[in-house]
Amino acid sequence: MSNLVLNQRSQLTKFRIISFYCATVFIIIALLGLFNNGLNLGLDFTGGYLTEFSTQHSITQGKMEGLLTSYLPDAFQLSSAENGTYWSVQQADNAISLKGKTWLMEFAQQSGLTITPQDAIYIGSQVGEELINQGGLALLTSIIVILLYLSLRFEWRLAAGSVIALFHDVVIVLGLFAWFDLSFDLTILASLLAIIGYSLNDSIIVGDKVREIMKSNSEKDVDSIINLAIRATIVRTLITSGTTLATILAIWLFAGESLAGFSISLFCGVLVGTFSSIAISATVPQLLGLSADYYHKKEQEVCQLP
Amino acid sequence: MMNSHTTQHLKHAKWQNIVIIFILLFMFVSALPNLYSDKVKLHLVSNNSKQTHSETISPQDINTLLSQHNLTVDEIKTSDISTAITLTNKDDQHAIERLLRQSYGADYSIGSRVESNSPTWLKSLGGEPIKLGLDLSGGVLFVLNVDTEHALSDRFKNIALEIRTLAVESRIRLAQISQPNNHSVEINFSSSKQTDNVKLLAKIMKSYPELTKKKQGDKQVILSYSPKQQVKFRQETMKQTLKTMRGRIEELGITEAVTQKQGKNNIRIELPGVHDPEEAKRIIGATASLDFYQLAESSTTAGIIYMRDDNGNKLRMNGQAVLSGSNIKNARAGQDEMGSPLVNLTLDGVGGKKMSAFSKKNIGKPMVTVFSEFYRNANDDMTKKSKVINVATIQQHLGSQFSITNMPSSKDARELALLLRAGSLTAPVTIVKQRSIEASLGIDNIDNGIKALTIGITITLLFMAFWYRTLGIIANIALALNLVSLLGLMSLLPGAVLTLPGIAGLVLTVGMAVDTNVLIFERIKEELKRGRKTLSAIEAGYKSAFSTILDANITTMITGIILYSIGYGPVKGFAIILCLGILTSMFTGVFVSKALTNLAIRDNKTQLLSIKTGDNL
Repeated sequence: MSNLVLNQRSQLTKFRIISFYCATVFIIIALLGLFNNGLNLGLDFTGGYLTEFSTQHSITQGKMEGLLTSYLPDAFQLSSAENGTYWSVQQADNAISLKGKTWLMEFAQQSGLTITPQDAIYIGSQVGEELINQGGLALLTSIIVILLYLSLRFEWRLAAGSVIALFHDVVIVLGLFAWFDLSFDLTILASLLAIIGYSLNDSIIVGDKVREIMKSNSEKDVDSIINLAIRATIVRTLITSGTTLATILAIWLFAGESLAGFSISLFCGVLVGTFSSIAISATVPQLLGLSADYYHKKEQEVCQLP
Repeated sequence: MMNSHTTQHLKHAKWQNIVIIFILLFMFVSALPNLYSDKVKLHLVSNNSKQTHSETISPQDINTLLSQHNLTVDEIKTSDISTAITLTNKDDQHAIERLLRQSYGADYSIGSRVESNSPTWLKSLGGEPIKLGLDLSGGVLFVLNVDTEHALSDRFKNIALEIRTLAVESRIRLAQISQPNNHSVEINFSSSKQTDNVKLLAKIMKSYPELTKKKQGDKQVILSYSPKQQVKFRQETMKQTLKTMRGRIEELGITEAVTQKQGKNNIRIELPGVHDPEEAKRIIGATASLDFYQLAESSTTAGIIYMRDDNGNKLRMNGQAVLSGSNIKNARAGQDEMGSPLVNLTLDGVGGKKMSAFSKKNIGKPMVTVFSEFYRNANDDMTKKSKVINVATIQQHLGSQFSITNMPSSKDARELALLLRAGSLTAPVTIVKQRSIEASLGIDNIDNGIKALTIGITITLLFMAFWYRTLGIIANIALALNLVSLLGLMSLLPGAVLTLPGIAGLVLTVGMAVDTNVLIFERIKEELKRGRKTLSAIEAGYKSAFSTILDANITTMITGIILYSIGYGPVKGFAIILCLGILTSMFTGVFVSKALTNLAIRDNKTQLLSIKTGDNL
């Protein structure tokens, strides 16, 4: 019986170590994609070509979107004003997009709409340079502050594990967008922020359990402590991830095209985040040399002081 | 002893329950306005002011017209100046508007407004629904034209003034200084003495190294911006204006606006959920700036300007401003001891030094504060209107902090402070287009999104009820209360706008709220396995899970706060929901669900067993 438990334990350790190396490979693949392909930045970031026109009769946005999709060769953003009689089409500024007002006439003939061209003009990005700088600064500051807070509350190796897991999750999702050339717009940025929150939450709960077991029990070695912690939190991890994934999946399946990128990003992020809380945030402290009696040693030091 | 401890504990619990109920009630009332849908009101206003409104149009006419087309409305109200039509169905707006335009379009202008149909008592409590972002509910679009040419010309006016001052300082006489066009200045020296002229030119070039020098004979020099420099100047002006605009919008408390550069010198601004476009227009389009001038000592000083104050007294001022609005770092509206409105200013480093040096030299002498604004006159030309708002004697050596008194009203003081905080515009702007825009996601997409979110949350609720039985139902009630509280908090906060990124935050907080309960329940299970009695296992479970929950939530909160303070636009919107969601999920997940668990156990002792069977599943 005890042999079986031991065997299970070592299997979990094996699984963790193998997963950790897999995660390293994934990160390298993702970084390769990021540096090679780069992100396909959406219109929110790049700006583009704006064509405005008005129609004689009001049309629903869905219908206009359908008509334009069959006509325009490239991706576009559509917005309507004045009760569906005034339209703005934003396209990327590249070789295949149709620029100027000329295409409107042809489009009018093809679709049978009465169209009056308005403006055709180049439009800048929605995000100022300051956002890109500040965004990077925000990420960096939050990582440092989190590292500090966790080091205070936990042990620095556990804190490092959480932050490396966080880095892993974000890079993997970014890599996914780079490799599959999915459009990276502001909603994807928001989903990345959500992933950061989720990943941290997951890692901390495992780390918290590790700390608790270390405090209550000094005999075991680090390996079995970590395995025990994972075993103790796995039900919770699966329930939380499962219910969150169910919500995201529902958005992915039922909410339509416009939320697809957003839900893909969140879905992968939560999936990867669950994986990394086991494979990375629990394994890194062990690899960094966390000793099983850390908290006991600390107590002894305190006792010896006077 | 033991007994008194328990009663004390019970008393404590009672108080806690009362506080919890009070908070929940408050959140519920705040969230209530979201239940009521918005009603669209159409307004018909006669174009011809001489005609009395009620003579030409009657509610009956409109009603028969609409019923012919099978359209119904809630109410038609006619007053002397306008007719207001409240629509039954929002979707009819297009059809009805088109119909009215066909029948009355020639004599009437038709406008629409969205109003909440919540009962009056709720409105009187100040309850308002959550503001939805551009992607979910549309808003107002402004296109601003930035007059970079005017800014360039202003720049050269300043350069000319500076040259005059420099010439006076170095005792070189200039015959004439003029501006042949808006990107150059022509200097005519009165003597052809090259050493002096070269010395002056060197000085000028030192302060304005970007100028290009071109000699026209012995006495004449033209200083100008090269075409490349002009382009650079225009680009920088646009960048500055864009930045100021973003600052102003943020000052207005609108977090989810979109500000883009459109074409060469237009700015496109989309504001979500703006109820009063006129106010937004006034703040965004305002070109107000402040300048501080010194009164000129004699009329012979170079570059004198004349202005009149409120009482019609003619003031003679040095053309070069002591300090301009761009040196202001912060501005707050306030009141003096007498209660009259003023604006407190804090200057930046450069401004502080300038003011300190100037005021030290000029104690006892007056300083003039001039407020300037650009507007378009009848010929559509941009004109600058300047007004002296006060002439104050410098009482003491001023530092980087001082205040402007003599503001006409506290509203004016607040507005001026807002504009100064957001930064003044170097180029005049005018609004060239204003339009109401529809939700960029499209109504179908939003409906689908809400449907999807409902499905997702339903799955979560069903799972929790199935997995944890009684405790699961408690968790579900807590989750529902969490959503209500979050809705209430978001409605209360003036800056909170719900957008797609916000929904990402919502998904995350729902996940975290579920997580809070799962953590507690797993702890309870653990305690039960260790052989504790159900009651004490529940107590211990809540207690020991709390530190885990606190750690997880505080770390996420840190991320949220940093994102909020540094981020902009959508990032900020996401951060607000995340932070509020953490607060509400901690509150409902820990305190409310514990109170509920206690209630469930006290009311029905047999429930104790069903928790256990639920656990064994």
